[in-house]
Amino acid sequence: MYCPKELAGYFLEGNTVKAWKYINEQEKLTLLDTYHAMITPAMQHIGYLWETNEISVADEHLATVTCDYVVSRLAHARLASPEKNNRKAMFLCLEGEQHYIGLKMVNSLFEEMGWDTKYYGANLPVEYILKTAEAWQPAVVGLSVSIVYHLPKLKEYIEELSKLPNPPVVIVGGRLTEKYDLKPYCSENTIILKDLKEMREWLNYEQTKSKQDAAL
Amino acid sequence: MNKQNPNKMQHFNEQLPLPFLKLDKDGTIILYSTLAMEHFDLSEDHIKHIVDNESYEKLLRYSSNDKAPVVRMELNMKSRTSPVTLYEVYLTWDNELHASMILLPKDQSNMQLIEKMMSLQKRLAETDFELYEQREELEQILSRLHELSGPFIPLTDKMCLIPLFGDVTEEKINVISHSCLQSVFAGEYEDVLIDFTAVGNVEDKGIEQFVRLLKTLHVMTGKIIKIIGIKPHTAKTLNKYALEGFMEFNQSLKQVLQTHFTK
Repeated sequence: MYCPKELAGYFLEGNTVKAWKYINEQEKLTLLDTYHAMITPAMQHIGYLWETNEISVADEHLATVTCDYVVSRLAHARLASPEKNNRKAMFLCLEGEQHYIGLKMVNSLFEEMGWDTKYYGANLPVEYILKTAEAWQPAVVGLSVSIVYHLPKLKEYIEELSKLPNPPVVIVGGRLTEKYDLKPYCSENTIILKDLKEMREWLNYEQTKSKQDAAL
Repeated sequence: MNKQNPNKMQHFNEQLPLPFLKLDKDGTIILYSTLAMEHFDLSEDHIKHIVDNESYEKLLRYSSNDKAPVVRMELNMKSRTSPVTLYEVYLTWDNELHASMILLPKDQSNMQLIEKMMSLQKRLAETDFELYEQREELEQILSRLHELSGPFIPLTDKMCLIPLFGDVTEEKINVISHSCLQSVFAGEYEDVLIDFTAVGNVEDKGIEQFVRLLKTLHVMTGKIIKIIGIKPHTAKTLNKYALEGFMEFNQSLKQVLQTHFTK
């Protein structure tokens, strides 16, 4: 029986070998379900341990890097080589944001659906993203935010992206989406997605829509 | 009293190396050091105004501990430089139910860690997992090869033979040592013969590890270990380790067995 606390324990030890072995001893789920039902609860437990004064931020950093290894390796192991759909998406955390694991999982799920992606990880200033987005012209830009004080920045990123000649669809995710109403910081067209399941549903919907468009 | 603080908050006029605050039981700041003033905006006299909301809940819940006189916790504080700044807080209560707090800024010390994390993150993003897995597989095969390069052969109830094959490397002797010591221990063997006839190159580190194995085997069996078929060059290297009393050289397995059985 899978236990998020056990996986969290291996992450905190920095033990990539045990963490990888533990995941592989469990029932083999799809990439989405492994991320959603195994990795996410384990990382949420680590957040809980900080809140309850059991671990330090330094411990959290070690756990994050260990988790990153597992997430990356899972993407390789469970990602079937998808049919390319010729759509592009890029992913980044706002400047100052260090919580990048969720974003990385989202990136893999897009790849799984045949998207061409660019993943920038933690802490990317808005100027960088504007430059790349203008040149590469992604259809989607995924932003991750987990600190309340960064919400005004979220607004700035979205506004700046909307001014591009080919404005991308902006998707916002991260732990704040569950706790707060982010609409005031977004534009009308911004998509706010609470978790990986919602992300997949949106992707499925997009896929169907683009197929219908192509058939017309 | 400071002009900025019209409340009952007082300035603690000592040069302390870290920000210091004293609170009453309701969380009102009653005393602050100069550094506390420099780090935080103390225009409001309640602690909640300088602690991040989520961290404030943590502070309320964990600020008293019956078991420890000093509580240590990390809190995100609203400092003058940033609305979320990590501090390590040391807190203790006195008889009047006042809490003294020393606050140690943590962001700087974590910076190195974050940089390390970023470089690892980058490396992971560039890792070709196909190559990575192939390497892992190769390592397993190599370890299996090492195991097979030093098989354990029981000759009689008390005598066993370990013929070594190929080059003597540190990794190989490590792998062989593990299985060999286990077998000698489990079978209570007394005479251990190690045959070097099929050995190719000998690495210094490999020999070092081999000497360790010899000494351990000697302690376990209480007898001299018999080395067979060793080349002059390797014998010379081994002799540097002053192993008299631990091992002896023998020409061939045939010779050792003949001596043993004619005893």
